[in-house]
Amino acid sequence: MAEVSIEWYIILSAVLFTMGAIGVLLRRNAIIIFMSIELMLNSANLLFVAFARHLNDLDGQVFVFFVITVAAAEVAVGLALIVAIFRTKRSINIDELHMLKG
Amino acid sequence: MGSPIIFTILALIAMLSALGMLLSRNAVHSALFLVLNFTTIAVFFLILNAPFLFVTQIAIYAGAIMVLFIFVVMLLGAEQLRSEPTAAVGRWQVPLSIVLAMILLGTFIFILASGTGTPSVETEALIEAGPVEIGLRLFEGYVFPFEVASVLLLVAMIGVVVLRTRRGENG
Amino acid sequence: MNTFGLAPLLLILPFAGFLFNALVGRRFVESDNRSIGEKWSGWTASGLALLAFIIGLSLAFSLAGNDFEGETIRLFNWIVIPSANFFVEWAMQIDSLAIVMVLVVTGVGSLIHIYAIGYMHGDPDFSRFFAYMNLFLFFMLVLVTANNYLMLFVGWEGVGLCSYLLIGFWFDRVNEKGQWMNADAARKAFVVNRIGDAGMILALILLFWVFGTLNFNVIFESSAELFLAQHSVELFGTTVSIGAVLTIVTALFLLGAAGKSAQIPLYVWLPDAMAGPTPVSALIHAATMVTAGVYLIVRSSELYEIARLSGETILGTLSSSNLVALTGALTALLAGLIAFSQFDIKKVLAYSTVSQLGFMIAAAGMGAYVAAMFHLVAHAFFKALLFLSAGSVIHGVEHGHHHGHEPGEADNFDPQDMRLMGGLRHRMKITFWVFLIGALALAGIFPLAGFWSKDEILAHGSLNPGVVFDIVYILLTVAAFCTAFYMGRQLLMVFFGKPRSEAAGHAEESGSLMTTPLIILAALSVLAGVLNFPFLSEASAAAAEEAHDLSYRVLLEQWLEHSLPILELEGELEALTGINVPDTPIEIIYFVALISTVIALSGLVIAWFVYRRRPETAADPDPMERVKPIWWFSVLPLNTLYYTTIVPAYNWLARFLADKVDWQFWHDWFHDRVIRDTFVNFSSWLNDKFDLNIIDNGLVNGAGRATGWLASQLRITQTGYVRNYALAVFIGVIALLAWFIYIAN
Repeated sequence: MAEVSIEWYIILSAVLFTMGAIGVLLRRNAIIIFMSIELMLNSANLLFVAFARHLNDLDGQVFVFFVITVAAAEVAVGLALIVAIFRTKRSINIDELHMLKG
Repeated sequence: MGSPIIFTILALIAMLSALGMLLSRNAVHSALFLVLNFTTIAVFFLILNAPFLFVTQIAIYAGAIMVLFIFVVMLLGAEQLRSEPTAAVGRWQVPLSIVLAMILLGTFIFILASGTGTPSVETEALIEAGPVEIGLRLFEGYVFPFEVASVLLLVAMIGVVVLRTRRGENG
Repeated sequence: MNTFGLAPLLLILPFAGFLFNALVGRRFVESDNRSIGEKWSGWTASGLALLAFIIGLSLAFSLAGNDFEGETIRLFNWIVIPSANFFVEWAMQIDSLAIVMVLVVTGVGSLIHIYAIGYMHGDPDFSRFFAYMNLFLFFMLVLVTANNYLMLFVGWEGVGLCSYLLIGFWFDRVNEKGQWMNADAARKAFVVNRIGDAGMILALILLFWVFGTLNFNVIFESSAELFLAQHSVELFGTTVSIGAVLTIVTALFLLGAAGKSAQIPLYVWLPDAMAGPTPVSALIHAATMVTAGVYLIVRSSELYEIARLSGETILGTLSSSNLVALTGALTALLAGLIAFSQFDIKKVLAYSTVSQLGFMIAAAGMGAYVAAMFHLVAHAFFKALLFLSAGSVIHGVEHGHHHGHEPGEADNFDPQDMRLMGGLRHRMKITFWVFLIGALALAGIFPLAGFWSKDEILAHGSLNPGVVFDIVYILLTVAAFCTAFYMGRQLLMVFFGKPRSEAAGHAEESGSLMTTPLIILAALSVLAGVLNFPFLSEASAAAAEEAHDLSYRVLLEQWLEHSLPILELEGELEALTGINVPDTPIEIIYFVALISTVIALSGLVIAWFVYRRRPETAADPDPMERVKPIWWFSVLPLNTLYYTTIVPAYNWLARFLADKVDWQFWHDWFHDRVIRDTFVNFSSWLNDKFDLNIIDNGLVNGAGRATGWLASQLRITQTGYVRNYALAVFIGVIALLAWFIYIAN
């Protein structure tokens, strides 16, 4: 087996990202969707760090730092939203959230 | 960037846990699978010369965010998902989504395959990536985004509080 | 000092009077104080006519001071067609002939205007009357002061128009049979005139064709030149002599004169024209318009004489001048005979006018142009006088009628019927005396004007050799007898005997506004003989030589010499052709004078015997009825002939054109179906199919509907399902990626 090069990480990140995308598209539970989004974010983080290592530049890691921060804030707000919706709709099946139908 | 064996093992664990998260019917199980995934990613960080991020990932992502997820799942009692009838969105969404995802993946591979390789910098000495170095980098070049991020966190907190105290309910 | 520059005022003043009365006259007349308004309207018209007369007098004096040579006053260019070399100007030729006519027209005209102020009193269309009268004066003056044939023709037509307007002045009056007698009479006058005008137009065309101009002097000079040089001219592809051309032209002029001056065969309109107000009859149909024909012939005397001298004849029979003379003489006799049988006081005078015009035309045809003008002037005086006094009689009888009856009572009383008159000399003294003077003058009694003028014509006829002249002389003498007879008849029926109706018994004399002009005209009738007094010519010539001043030569003949170039060329032409140009004797021919006096007196005497006592009552038959052949003239053969042949055919044609061609074809089919329906169909097609459907429905509504449809299609994407939106985002991402890859490659 060859050395682990950056390509390996790229593929891994792509696969994880795709899985996260599928999760967003196919699952109906709002929380699961959220988790899939986190998965996607993480895959991007992985890639960032891989490249930081590959290019020997610390900027990638700094960026990951920020991504994590934003993800945390986002999760907090998003879950609060879901809870708020659940109070009204008694369900987090997003297929039932189609009041904005055109 | 680490030995292949370790990479392969970790990669497998990551992918499988991701899959498990996707497919599991129980929301709590999904969350736990995701925790595993996050941890694996953290180990990857460690391998990739990002010790600070390794700790940050575990502490915040796996520790705080996922805990929050599990709280909410428990709170909403969504661990037991009702049987999901065929979605009103149409059955075509499922195959289409999968197809598109495959296309996405293919696109990534294509990019990878057609792109020129980037030079490796193995020969150079690795930078120290401890907290000191990260901190320095943050306050030297990225001080503005840093401040903005702190404001963002503040806003998020306020927003959550606002969302919870709607209609005079005690949050 | 000459006043020729004032000449345009002759035209401007009457026209201004026309405008005044046409535009604002009504307001005066219909104001609160009607009589003041009438005075404004009427005196403006009359005053302007008088002013024109004074200007005419000044022009006459200027002319006298200018050795009788005329002047041409250019006004402006009228028709200019350089490519056709057609050049007509509006210019006035102020020479002695024109001045004679101007003085007669304006002088007699203004007297009649003044008379009419009284005559038309109370008429609701007072101002319109004076507008037309002034317009007539304008046109008549245009006619006589023209320096070219086209301008003359403008005046010719214009007086015809005014005649129509004035005859039909009371156009809405219907007689007891329901006929629009006034309108019919006016139309008859116009139509018959038109036939004459057709002749005029043809003559003008010929003149222009041959001479290239319509200017009098140019035509006269060229024709004399061409004749003397024996040149031929080109006409419609063949070469003809100038004499032939002029024969045709002058014959056509005769046709025009026959229409305007009421000669055979176009006199039929004049008796009907008596339907108009009496001042109209006096002015237009006695003194001025009807003399236009005579003026035309006299003005064109050169053409007539050249035609005569060239020996060309019409269809191998007569020269045009002889034709003119015979026409005039026949008309004189025929009209005189018809006058025997007329009961209407104005109709007698109408036929008398026709007859006297015949005298004038005959004189002109015989070459006695001066005599013709002399008679024209004298006739204007006493015929106007007779008509106006007839009007006075009519007014008086009407007053008498209203005196006896309640006004507004329907009745068939005809104030113009002589059978209902009689014995008026006691009740209307002034009218009687002036009428008497006029009648005697007309009959040709020495020493009144008519004697001298008529006598000169007869003398001319008797003096010159030739069969035609003799025939004319005889016819005119018999006509003179008729004149005396019917005038005597009229005098006796109207003024003598006992009143045959209540109205006549209560008749009243007319006001001074009417009688004063009568008196003036009577005086003129007496004195006018002086104009061409035969005994004076030598004396005046001698006086002129002594004083070395030509203005002493005041006789009409000497006056007119300078306007009638033929008189100057006489000698030359005679030498060329060996034919005598007819001479008018300067000295009186006693023999002829004697015969005419005897004739006139015998006519009066016979009338006295026949009509002294009868008819006694209105219902009595006229004594002359026993002489059947004469009475047959009352059947008016010409009138009947026209009414049975030409008129029905013409009416049929007019009706056909009106109904079939104009109405059905043009209006119904062409206008309505073709144009209107096509247009309506097209526009409704445009409206429905095009506008409503395509534009409204298609474009406008369609845009709306398309937008709605598009929106409804697009709305499908707004499912409200998050997963669908997520899918959309996902697809977008893939697309973007693909795009970037594409770009990068």
